[in-house]
Amino acid sequence: MKSKLTTILMVLLAAFITIGGTTSCKSKKRLAREAAEAEYKSRVEQAVKDLNAILDDETLWSLEEKEARVQTIKDWNLQNAEVDDLLFQVEKKLARERAQKEEEERREREEREKANAADAVLGRNFNSIANAASASQANRVINETLGMFESPNTPVLIIIKQNQGFNDYDRPTTIEKYLNYVKDQKKATEKVHQIKYNDSGKINELELIKK
Amino acid sequence: MKKIIATLVIALCVVGSAMAQEEIDYARKQAIDSLALEKVRDLSKYIKIVGSKETPFSEANRVIDRAEELFMSDAEIGVSSLGSNKITYYRVRKYFEHLMRLNYDRVEIEWYNIEYVSDLQRQPDGTYVGVITIFQTFRGYDKEGNLAYKDTTKKDITVYVKRKETQIGGRTIGFWDVLLGDMRVKETTNR
Repeated sequence: MKSKLTTILMVLLAAFITIGGTTSCKSKKRLAREAAEAEYKSRVEQAVKDLNAILDDETLWSLEEKEARVQTIKDWNLQNAEVDDLLFQVEKKLARERAQKEEEERREREEREKANAADAVLGRNFNSIANAASASQANRVINETLGMFESPNTPVLIIIKQNQGFNDYDRPTTIEKYLNYVKDQKKATEKVHQIKYNDSGKINELELIKK
Repeated sequence: MKKIIATLVIALCVVGSAMAQEEIDYARKQAIDSLALEKVRDLSKYIKIVGSKETPFSEANRVIDRAEELFMSDAEIGVSSLGSNKITYYRVRKYFEHLMRLNYDRVEIEWYNIEYVSDLQRQPDGTYVGVITIFQTFRGYDKEGNLAYKDTTKKDITVYVKRKETQIGGRTIGFWDVLLGDMRVKETTNR
C-alpha cells in the first residue's frame, strides 16, 4: 500500500514538473514575442515620426544626417506599408536636396575658380598698366581690363587697414578711375581682396587691399 | 547738492564714454596718417604729369580732374618766384591751367622730403587735421635745352581726414575721406 502511494506521488511529481516546465517555456516565448512586438511597434512609430519630420522640414539635421537616418530605417526592414510609403517620399525629397546641394557646390567651385582666374588676370593687368612703357600701351591694357567689368563705373573699394574683422576703407572710386590712377602713379600697391559678379558674369564690385 | 553732483558725475561718464568710442587706436591712426601722405605723393605725380610738355592736352585735363578731387572745394595753391616777393594764390584748377601754360620748352618738377610738420589731430567735430610739408624743385628749360629757371620752394599743405559713410551694393561702407586744403608757400630759394 505504501509502495503504491509512493509510486502515485512520484508520477504526480513528474507530471507536475513536466507541465510546469512546459508552461514556463511557453511564458518565456510569449514574453520574447511581446518584447519583439513592442520593439517593432516602437521602431515603426519612431520611423514614422522621423520620416514625417524630414518630409516637413522640421529637423535641424544636415542632408548627410537625414540620409543616414533613412538608411537606418531601411536597415530595420520594417515591412510596414506606412513606413514604406514615407520612405519612398523621403528618398525622393532627399534626392532632390542632394542634386540641389551638388549644383550649389559646383556653382561655388566655378565661382571660386573664376574669381581666382580673375584675381590673377587683374593682378597681372594692374602691374602691366603700372609698368607700361607708354601711355598708349597702358591704355590698351586698361581697355582690355574694363571689358571684365559691368561698366567703367563699377565701384572699387580699397581697404587701407583690417582690424579685428573691421575694414577701414579709402574713399570709394570706380574701376575706370582706379586703372587710370595706376597708370598715372605708375604703381600697383593694391591686390584683389574680393570680387563680385553680376548674372552675366561681369564684375560688378571689386574690393582691393593695400599690399 | 548730492543730486547735482551725482548728475554731473553721470553726465561726465556718458560724455567720456562717447569720446572714448570715437577715438581710434594707434594702428588705425597710422593707416590714416599713411593714407594722407599718399594723397600728397599722388598730387606730386599729377603736378609732374600736367607740368610735362609731353602730356597730351586731353590727358592733362583728365589728370586735373583727378587732382581736383584731392582738394577741398575752396582750396588754394600758392605760387612764388625768385624774381618777386609776391605769392599768388590760385584755385586748384586755375593753378593747374597756369602750370600747363608755363612758357618753357620743358619743365621738371620734383617733390621730396614729404613729411608731417603737424600730426593729424582730432578736432571737436571728429575731423583729423594735420600739416604736411614738402619741398618742390622746379626747373624750366628753353628751346635749346638750357636751364632757364630753377627754384626750390617749401610748401605746407593742410590735410583734413574725416570719417564718412556711403552705400555700395546695398551695404553701408565707412571710409576715411582725405581732402587737401590750402597749399601755402613758406620759403623760396634758388638752391
